[in-house]
Amino acid sequence: MKIEKTISNWGNFPKLKASEYLFENLHKTQGILEAEESVLARGNGRCYGDAALNNAVVSTLSLKHFLSFDETEGTLTCEAGVLFSDILNLVVPKGFFLPVTPGTKFITVGGAIAADVHGKNHHKDGCFSEFVTQLKLVIDTGETIICSRTENTTLFWETIGGMGLTGIIVEATFQLKRIANSYIYVESIKAKNLTEIMALFEASEDWTYTVAWIDCLQKGKHIGRSILMRGEHARPEQLSNKQQKEPFKLSPTKAIKIPFNFPRFVLNTLSVKAFNWLYYNKQTPKTIKKVTHFEPFFYPLDSLLEWNRIYGKSGFIQYQFVIPKGVGKEALQDILQTIAKSNQGSFLAVLKLFGKNNPKAYNSFPIEGYTLALDFKVNKKLYKLVPELDAIVLKYKGRIYRAKDSLSNARLLDYVKVHNTKFNSVQNRRINKATP
Amino acid sequence: MIILGANSEIAREFTELMLQKQSFVTVYLLSSNAEQLVTFKKHLEVKYKTEVKIIPFDLMGQIKLDFSAMEYNLVFSAAGYLGDTEAGVIAKTEDMSRIMAINYSGLVHFLNAVANDLLEKENGTIICISSVAGERGRQSNFIYGSAKAGITAYLSGLRNFLYKKNIHVMTVKPGFMDTKMTRGMDLPGPLTINPKKAAHLIYSGYKKKKNTIYISGIWRLIMFVIRNIPEIIFKKLSL
Ligand SMILES: Cc1cc2nc3c(=O)[nH]c(=O)nc-3n(C[C@H](O)[C@H](O)[C@H](O)COP(=O)(O)OP(=O)(O)OC[C@H]3O[C@@H](n4cnc5c(N)ncnc54)[C@H](O)[C@@H]3O)c2cc1C
Ligand SMILES: NC(=O)c1ccc[n+]([C@@H]2O[C@H](COP(=O)([O-])OP(=O)(O)OC[C@H]3O[C@@H](n4cnc5c(N)ncnc54)[C@H](OP(=O)(O)O)[C@@H]3O)[C@@H](O)[C@H]2O)c1
Repeated sequence: MKIEKTISNWGNFPKLKASEYLFENLHKTQGILEAEESVLARGNGRCYGDAALNNAVVSTLSLKHFLSFDETEGTLTCEAGVLFSDILNLVVPKGFFLPVTPGTKFITVGGAIAADVHGKNHHKDGCFSEFVTQLKLVIDTGETIICSRTENTTLFWETIGGMGLTGIIVEATFQLKRIANSYIYVESIKAKNLTEIMALFEASEDWTYTVAWIDCLQKGKHIGRSILMRGEHARPEQLSNKQQKEPFKLSPTKAIKIPFNFPRFVLNTLSVKAFNWLYYNKQTPKTIKKVTHFEPFFYPLDSLLEWNRIYGKSGFIQYQFVIPKGVGKEALQDILQTIAKSNQGSFLAVLKLFGKNNPKAYNSFPIEGYTLALDFKVNKKLYKLVPELDAIVLKYKGRIYRAKDSLSNARLLDYVKVHNTKFNSVQNRRINKATP
Repeated sequence: MIILGANSEIAREFTELMLQKQSFVTVYLLSSNAEQLVTFKKHLEVKYKTEVKIIPFDLMGQIKLDFSAMEYNLVFSAAGYLGDTEAGVIAKTEDMSRIMAINYSGLVHFLNAVANDLLEKENGTIICISSVAGERGRQSNFIYGSAKAGITAYLSGLRNFLYKKNIHVMTVKPGFMDTKMTRGMDLPGPLTINPKKAAHLIYSGYKKKKNTIYISGIWRLIMFVIRNIPEIIFKKLSL
């Protein structure tokens, strides 16, 4: 049964009136495919822009079952609507962890494959797809196809990073990573400017996890002021006595729900400035070392459920690009200057150095180079700022992450190549229209 | 533990919650759509390493199960059928007999068989979901409501009957729940609870050995008001 409702993704922008079906079984899905002009699978709506939007969507949240777990090999098979948070609850106590995880655990396995998500270990381990051995896909005819690295390989690689445009992923098998405990040894290091932070990234290449928080309101010689965080799964002897008592502890924190949409003015430039300043000055010495639970390290925002509401009713966008490593400095300089000039402060700005990409996963977003993700509240000025930023990314031959986009130039997004007409999204139609 | 209506979200959430709280030798999933339970069975096996048996079972048919051969001391029923909620319901005999069998007569046969077996086993708990709809007949769903009223009365009698035999019966009266039964209906948000929460409330009622629980508690008050509206006014309302 379908219901008519207004759907939007994490940025609450754009919104769309759509028919939403719940995935029930193959027979019913066939019916949906026959009845609707175009269809799109939708996971937990944790992409930001218009990727998981279509006039008819099939929610995979009903596909939430584990199917098998080999605890000696660490291979897991589950349905595509299983959330990363559910996986952690199951596997962490048994000494395993997600091989790659984005900055929220509230995404589905299907969404992780369709966007081929990356994490803080991209430079070491690549995208999520590196660990996926098999998937089951319902294609336009309603048939279920098993795809892997040896079977139906074309469809397998087309689906990785294919943003739901090849069909509905219903099941997947992937490899987990072994851990000795739930804790991460973290070093946080201050960087005064762009040169410093880039040098820190290069110097931290051997660390499993690296990411930087960047203050994008700085101007002149302070441009690029930031904090690098690098981490490793903690060794047993690094744990405190208390931590050792419960080495595979799950969530240390209680989630807080943000109850309503904050009024818009809360996030004006001033408050962003204050936030940035606080964050930067919180740490006095240049380097701080500590052992923390994986939860605040990987998912700092997840304890504030529905934090996206702080941007108010009109919503926000996330702007994430990557630019080739060689031109990193000039490009970041240009972009940060443009943002600082616009006074459109970003509440969150995350910088990371991606490693080499897997050429087989040709639809995946990451290429070797610097990626920066920024939040902007939706307002009139944004329609001027985005094209300005796009022009810079284009000039340096970068690209934009489809899982975050809603407004960017199609030429920055047309790296995704999928041959199909039945599965489509608002985003894909927007891109195709602009690039004949 | 025996779960009837295992395709209901509430039944599934409750089953998982029970498995998190205590261990069971075998989980029996009774269902009129057994083929839809295959993934849920695997899920339980992976997550809880418990034995799970699927038993095809239809409340519209005869009860041919041998409960004495099954190992359990907890029975949970989420079986129910709302049927057509449009005004024409009294004309639809087929739908009507489904409503009466699944919510009442078939369920009574099932619970009687279970109760007889529990008497042999000499202890146990029966939890059965009825509905607030059984507290007063309303034009929008009174066939369903009357069947629920019947099962509520049956459960209170059964509780009384089994009290001295160390067998406890808990009646669960939900108000609005957000499940496949109500998918697409426009339910009032603040009064509607999700299956996970419902399962938690049922679990805490079970732990406290409650006789009747409303989910959520606010419905006790709402139904108190609804029961006390004089019939002369009630009959004119369009609830
Ligand atoms: C706080 C936060 C932090 C984030 N950090 C990162 C990060 O560090 N790295 C990163 O890579 N991403 C990050 N993301 C983005 C997020 O990981 C991706 O957008 C992910 O795809 C969301 O998964 P989902 O299940 O919510 O999918 P949705 O948002 O529902 O869908 C995303 C896309 O996947 C497709 N899709 C979903 N399920 C299926 C399926 N079963 N079959 C076929 N296609 C499907 C949809 O059609 C859509 O195109 C972050 C998001 C948030 C909110
Ligand atoms: N949702 C609400 O707002 C609400 C409000 C008040 C009370 N309730 C009651 O809550 C209980 C759970 O309902 P729900 O909301 O979870 O709806 P539901 O998903 O429709 O669950 C009802 C279950 O009853 C079982 N069933 C149906 N026909 C059957 C038959 N012929 N034989 C055996 N079992 C049958 C089905 O399980 P199988 O497919 O496994 O057989 C079905 O999943 C029901 O008793 C319902 O009346 C619901």
